[in-house]
Amino acid sequence: MLHRRLLRTAAPLIVGALALSACSKSDDDAGSDGGKKVYRIAYQGPLTGESSALGVHMENGVKLAIKQANARGDLPFTLSYAAGDDAGSADQSPAAAQKIIDDDKVIATIGPAFSAPTKAAGELYSQAGLVALTPSASSPALTTLGFTSFLRGIPNDDAQGGGMAAYLARKVKARKVFLVDDKTEYGVGLAGVAEADLKKAGVQVVHESVPQKTPDYTAVATAARNSGADGLIYAGFYADAAPFAKKLKEAGFDKPKIASDGTNDRKFIDLAGDASEGWLLTCPCVDATVEPGIKKFTEDYRAEFKVDPGTYSAEAFDVTNLVIEQLRTLGTDATREALLDKVRHADYKGLTKRFRFDDKGEFPDRTAFLYRVESGRIAYQGNILTLAAS
Amino acid sequence: MSPHEFWDYLVPGVALGALYAVIAIGYTLVYGVLQLINFAHSEVFMLGGFGSLIVLTSLTPAHPSAPISVLLVLVGLVVSALCGGATAYGLEKVAYRPLRRRGAPKLVFLISAIGASFFLYNLAGKLFGRDPLPMPHLYDNNVVLTVFGARVTITQLLLLVCALLMMVGLDLLVNRTRLGAGIRALAQDPETASLMGVDTDRVISRTFVIGGLLGGVAGFLFGLNTQVSFTMGFNPGITAFAAAVLGGVGNIRGAMLGGLLLGLVESFNVPLFGEEWRYVAAFVVLVGVLMFRPAGILGVKIGRAA
Repeated sequence: MLHRRLLRTAAPLIVGALALSACSKSDDDAGSDGGKKVYRIAYQGPLTGESSALGVHMENGVKLAIKQANARGDLPFTLSYAAGDDAGSADQSPAAAQKIIDDDKVIATIGPAFSAPTKAAGELYSQAGLVALTPSASSPALTTLGFTSFLRGIPNDDAQGGGMAAYLARKVKARKVFLVDDKTEYGVGLAGVAEADLKKAGVQVVHESVPQKTPDYTAVATAARNSGADGLIYAGFYADAAPFAKKLKEAGFDKPKIASDGTNDRKFIDLAGDASEGWLLTCPCVDATVEPGIKKFTEDYRAEFKVDPGTYSAEAFDVTNLVIEQLRTLGTDATREALLDKVRHADYKGLTKRFRFDDKGEFPDRTAFLYRVESGRIAYQGNILTLAAS
Repeated sequence: MSPHEFWDYLVPGVALGALYAVIAIGYTLVYGVLQLINFAHSEVFMLGGFGSLIVLTSLTPAHPSAPISVLLVLVGLVVSALCGGATAYGLEKVAYRPLRRRGAPKLVFLISAIGASFFLYNLAGKLFGRDPLPMPHLYDNNVVLTVFGARVTITQLLLLVCALLMMVGLDLLVNRTRLGAGIRALAQDPETASLMGVDTDRVISRTFVIGGLLGGVAGFLFGLNTQVSFTMGFNPGITAFAAAVLGGVGNIRGAMLGGLLLGLVESFNVPLFGEEWRYVAAFVVLVGVLMFRPAGILGVKIGRAA
C-alpha cells in the first residue's frame, strides 16, 4: 500500500525530471577526436527573453569561430561550445555564470553580452579567475567595479553617447534635445554620457526615464513633441524603441531621432514598420555585410546559419578568435589563470578592429559608427565623429 | 499646463484607461462570484492578443482597402474574444474547479492562479517566440479628428468605442438578464443562491468566460496599439487589478471607473512629474483613495457585485 502511494507520487516527479533533463542541452563534445584534450569556450548572453535576437547573433559568431578553428585541424586540442543563457537579465545572470564556472572544461567565457548581467556576474568570474571577454556590454561603469577577469572588446558607451551628442550638436545643430532612457543599467549609462556631452556643447536637454514594457508610449511621445526639441535620443532596446517610434510618428514628431546599439537590429524595423524610417542608429560595431575586409566572414556565416550576420556577430567572432589564438600559444596545459593573463596582454588584429585592453580591462579606442534606417533596411553611414564634423 | 496640453494628454489617458477598465472587469467579475483574485487573467489578455495576431497575420493582405480593414478589425475582435473566453474557461476548469470541489482554502486558489499564469506565459514564449511581434498593418493609423487641438488616431478611437460598447453590453447583461441575476445572487450569498436554484458551477464558469471575452478583446486592442509579446500581460494586468481594487473590487462599474482614473493618472503624470513616475503616481492615487474609502470608490460592501 505504501509502495503504491509512493509510486503514485514519485512517478510524475521522475517523468518530470526526465522531461526537464531532456530539455537541457546535451553535452556534445564527443571527445572522440583522437583523444585530444577538449577545451570549452562558453558564451553568456540572452538566448531567450525579449532581447534574444541580439544574443543569438553573438552566439552564432562564437560558434562559427569555434567550428572553423576545429576544422583547420592545426590545434593541439579540440574546442567545444557551452551556452549560458541569462535572458539579458541581472537576476538570471549569476546562475548562468555559475553553471559555466562549474564546468571544469570551460577555459574562457565570451560575454556576458549585456551590461546589467555583467555587473551581476563579474565578481563570480573574477573569483573563478575565468576570463569574461564581452563583445558588447558597453556600460562605462563595468570596468570600475574591481572585476579582475572582465575584459571589454568594444569601446564603451562614452563612444556612442559622445558620438550621438556630437552628431546632434554639430551636424543637426540642435538647440534642445529630448533624451529618453529605459531605466536599465545600459540605457541610463548611455543617456548620462550623452546628456553631459550635450550640455557641454551648450545644448538644452529634457531627460525622461521610461521603464521597459511601458504599456503606452503615447503620453511620452506627446511630451517629446510639446517640448519643442529639435532632436531626440533613445537609449534602450528595440522591443521598447519600436512602440515608442510608432507613437512618435502618430504624435507628429518629425525631428532627427537617434538610438543606440540596443535598438540597432532588424527587429526594430519589423516591429515599428514605417515609423522606423529615417531613425539614426549608432553602434560601436561595424556593418559586417558592408565593410570590405569582412566579406568572407559574412559568406561563411550565411552558409552556416542561413541568415545575415547581425549586430555584434563579427565582434563575437573576433573576440572568440582572439581567445583561441592565445589558447593556442598555451597548448594543452592551459589553465584559466594563464589564459586570462595571456588574453589581457593580447594585441590582436581582428576583422572588425584591433583589440587591446588597458590595465582595467577597458578597450582603449573610442569609435562609434552611424547607421540609418532607409527604405526598410539599416544602412551603414560611417564613423559618427567624421559625419558630425562634415 | 496650457489648456491645449490638457487635451493632448487627456486623449491617450482616456484610451488607455478604457483598456484598463475592460481588463479590470475581468478581475472584478471573478472576485464578485468567488471572492478570489484570478491572477491568471493577465494571461487571458495575452493569449487574446496572440490569437488575433496569428489569425490576422495569415489573413491580412499587403495594402488592405477600407472595407477589408473594417472586416479585419472585426475578425480580430471576434478571434481575440474567442481565445480569451476559451482560455478563461479552461483556467476555471483546470486551475479552480478541482480545488473548489475539494473545498480548498482561499490561499490555495491564489497559488494555483499564479502557477497557471507562469505556465501560460512561459508556454506562449516557447510557442510563439520571445521576441515581441507586431500586429499586421490593418489600416493607416491616421489622425481622424482633433479635439481642441489634440490628435485622435483611429486606434485610439477604436479602443474607446470598443471599450464603451463592451462596458455597456456587460452592464446590461449583469443587470437585465437571467445569467446576470445569477451572477449577482452568487455574489451576494452563494449558499442562498444555490438553495434558490442557481446552478453555481454553471454561473461561475460563465462568469469566467465573460471576463475572458473582454480580456481577450483588450489583448487585441493593446496589441494593435503597441505590439504583442508573451510578457505583455504583466504590467497592464497589475494596473488593471489595482483599478479593480480602486473602484471597489467586486463592483463592475467601480472597475470601469477605476480603470479610467488610473489611465488618466498615468497619462497626466508624464507632463506633471515625468514618465518614470508612472506606476508610482498610479499607486499613490490607489493608496490615497483606499485610506479614505477602504472598500474602493464604489465599493459598498466588499464582495458585492454591481
